[in-house]
Amino acid sequence: MLIRRDCIESILFQSAIPGRGPHMTDKSPNKGPHDMGGSAAGPVDTTDHGMRFWEKQANALRSTLTGKKVVRLDALRRAAEDLGDQYYKLEYFERTTAALRTVLLEKGLFTEAELKAKMAEVRARFDVPRESRSPASKDRDR
Amino acid sequence: MSPSRRARAKKALPSTYTPAPGHRFKVGERVAIKRAFPPGHRRTPYYIRGKEGVIERICGAFPNPEELAYGFDGEPAKVLYRVRFQQKHVWPDYEGPARDIIEMEIFEHWLAPVAGRAKPARTTQSG
Repeated sequence: MLIRRDCIESILFQSAIPGRGPHMTDKSPNKGPHDMGGSAAGPVDTTDHGMRFWEKQANALRSTLTGKKVVRLDALRRAAEDLGDQYYKLEYFERTTAALRTVLLEKGLFTEAELKAKMAEVRARFDVPRESRSPASKDRDR
Repeated sequence: MSPSRRARAKKALPSTYTPAPGHRFKVGERVAIKRAFPPGHRRTPYYIRGKEGVIERICGAFPNPEELAYGFDGEPAKVLYRVRFQQKHVWPDYEGPARDIIEMEIFEHWLAPVAGRAKPARTTQSG
């Protein structure tokens, strides 16, 4: 599977996702970042942004793994919620892919080292340019 | 949709409804949502905790998603209810009509009984 380095690598390695952990404030203890009911909302962007190539592939992988019950949707939700402050800094498919990575590592389907080795292999095979913007650490361009 | 197509569709997408033989609350019964703030993956939104509503229907029994979230099997299954709330009760500054409601599906372990008469509710029994 071809994975675009500039989009996904920092998610898979989470090198650019500091401060992971449950979001917590004194006012609302243990309130997850997803639990936004009643929060003030700004204008809602109703533009259909479509799906990028890597997003379709990542989503297909996630659908296959949940469909075959290799991973549970509830576990993916939990892993996404645990992104804490990073939750809304990531786009939707970045978030779900980061969650998938977490759960697959937890289940021991591969190790961090194996993932890293495979990423290097894929990068070399497709000659993906090294310069990349990190989705997690930079503001989105739209 | 033709009957045969409908049958195929039904076969392809089986209902997730499962009977809930051991349910604690009845349709029409008044319940309070627990005012608890445990860590972890919780299926009850923050804003509804501590509020009171009426059981609208019994949805069935399902593996506990709050356990599935951590890789456990979710057994024993938990009974899921649809609970009806008055919007003005949930949101004190709600500006819409007093009859407006919000319904939410909540697992039994988040519910506590409320003393006093159950409010009459136009409800659908499906359990």
